[in-house]
Amino acid sequence: MRLPTVEDIEKRIPRPETFTSQSRGTRLTTRVGTALGIAFLICFLTGLWSHFQYDPPSWLPIGPDPTQLYRITQGTHVISGTAAVPLLLVKLWSVFPRLFARPHDTTKRGLLLESLERASIGALVGSSVFMLASGLLNIVQWYPWDFSFRRTHEAVAWIAIGSLLVHIAVKLPVIRRAFAAPIDEPGDSDEAIARASDTTASDTPLEDQPDSAGRRAVLVGTFASAGLAVLLTAGQTVPFLRKVSVFAVRDGDGPQDLPINRTARSAGATASALDPAFVLEVVGADGTVISLDREQLKAMPQQTHRLPIACVEGWSRNATWTGVPVRDIIALTGADPRSDVKVRSMQTRGAFATSELPAVFVEDDRTMLALELNGQALSLDHGYPCRIIAPNRPGVLQTKWVRRLEVRA
Amino acid sequence: MRTDTVIRTALGAVGVGFGLWGVWLMRDFSFEQLLSTGIWLAGGILLHDAVLAPLTVALGVAASRLLPGHYRAATGLAFLVWATLTITFIPVLSGQGGKPDNDTLLDQPYLISWLVLTGVLAGAAVIAAQRRKRRVTRPADADAG
Repeated sequence: MRLPTVEDIEKRIPRPETFTSQSRGTRLTTRVGTALGIAFLICFLTGLWSHFQYDPPSWLPIGPDPTQLYRITQGTHVISGTAAVPLLLVKLWSVFPRLFARPHDTTKRGLLLESLERASIGALVGSSVFMLASGLLNIVQWYPWDFSFRRTHEAVAWIAIGSLLVHIAVKLPVIRRAFAAPIDEPGDSDEAIARASDTTASDTPLEDQPDSAGRRAVLVGTFASAGLAVLLTAGQTVPFLRKVSVFAVRDGDGPQDLPINRTARSAGATASALDPAFVLEVVGADGTVISLDREQLKAMPQQTHRLPIACVEGWSRNATWTGVPVRDIIALTGADPRSDVKVRSMQTRGAFATSELPAVFVEDDRTMLALELNGQALSLDHGYPCRIIAPNRPGVLQTKWVRRLEVRA
Repeated sequence: MRTDTVIRTALGAVGVGFGLWGVWLMRDFSFEQLLSTGIWLAGGILLHDAVLAPLTVALGVAASRLLPGHYRAATGLAFLVWATLTITFIPVLSGQGGKPDNDTLLDQPYLISWLVLTGVLAGAAVIAAQRRKRRVTRPADADAG
C-alpha cells in the first residue's frame, strides 16, 4: 500500500463542477448580492450617523430637530442588518462551489491576482459575518467577547464596506452580464456552471433537474425570508408591528408603558436614588452652586412633551414626559440658556454615568429634567428622582438618576 | 483608459482605503481585544465554510436521494426560509443575554413562536408538494379545469 500523493488528495477535494444544483447561478448571486449590498450600505450610513449622534463632530451640528431622527436612523440600522442575515446566508450558499475553484491562470501574475482576490473575499466574508453576528448579539445585550462592541463594530464596518467595494470592482463585468439576462433562462453565465454542463451532464440524472427549485423561486424565497425577518422583529420600533413581531427582543411593554435598558440595581444607583435627603446640585458658569430638592423642582413651571426613548439596540418608544426645562434650571444660577451642560448621574457602575448636553439642546425647552412619565412619578428604573429627556438623542445619553448639572464656562 | 477600467480602479482604490482606515481604527486595541476580534473574524468564515455550508450540501444530497421528486422544490424552499430565519433568531432563542433584574427585554415566548414557524413551513412544504404531484400526474385535469 502506498501513501496518498498530493495529486490523490487533490482529486478528493470537490471542484465547483461537483455541485450539481441548478438552483445556484451567477444571475441569482448577483441579484441577492445587490440586495445585500444595499442593506449593507444602509447599515453603514446609519451606523456612521449613530456614532455622530453619540459624539457630534464640530462640523456637523446635530440638534433637537427632527425629534424622531435618531429613532428612525437607528431603527433602520437594526432592521436592515436583520434583513441582511438571510440575504448573506443565501449569497454565501450560492457561491459556495467557487470556494473549490482551482486557479485558471497559473502564471506568477495570475496566481498573485487570484490570491489577492481570495484575500479580499476572505476579508469580506469574515467582516460581514462579524458585523451581523456582533450586531444581533448586542441587541440582546449578550457580549461573549473581549473587545469593545462600539469601537470594534465601527472599525470592522470600514473593513466590510472596503472589501465590498473591492469585490464590486472585481466583479463589475460579471454583474453587468448577469443583470442583462433573465434569471431563469437556462445556461447561466457562470463559467463554472458552464464547464460543469460539458463534463458532468451525463452524470446528473436528468429527471431530477426540473424538480429542484428554480432560481426565480429561490430569489423570491430569499426576499420573503428577509421580509419575514423584518416583520417578525421590527415591532420593537415600529408601533403597528408590535403584535406581529413575535421574535422582537422587546415587545414594547415595561413599567409605566416603557421598556428599560438598565435597571437602577445594575447601575448601582438604588441607594442614592431612594435617599430622602436627595438634592439636585446645579453649578453655574461662575461656580455658583445651588441645591434643589424634588419638591422645589416640582414647584417650578412644568412642561409636558411627547418624546421617544430611542436606543442603539434599535428599540424605541414614544412617551409623555413632564418636567422642568433644563434652561430654566440653569437660569437660576444666572447662566445663559445657550450653554453646554454636563450631566452627572448617581450611577456607580457601567458606562455613561455622565453626559454632555450641547447648547443647541439646552436652549430648546423640550430638553427637560423629567419628573413624571406617562402621568406618574418616574419609577426607580426609569430614573427617579429625576432624569434627562431631550429630543433626538440616543437613549444612553438620556441620563437617569441625575444628581448634578454643571454649566460649562 | 476605458470608462469601465476607470470606475473599477477607483472603486478598488476607495475600497482598499476604507479597509486600511478600519485597521487604523484598531491601532490602540490591546492584544486581548485584537485576539478576540481576530477569533470572531476567522470564526465566522470557519463556521460558514466548514460547518453550515457542508451541512447544507449534505442535507441537499440526502433530500435528493430520500424524497420523492415532487417534494424537492417545496422542501428546498421551505428549508431556505426556515434555516435563514432560525439563524437570524438564534440570539433570542439562545436564552443568553439580558439581565435577570430586567424583564423588559427577551420577554416573549420565542421557542413557541419558533415551533409554530417550523410547523407552518413544514405544512406549507407538504401542501405545495402535493399540489405539484397532482399537476405532474394529472396534467389533463389541470387543462380541463
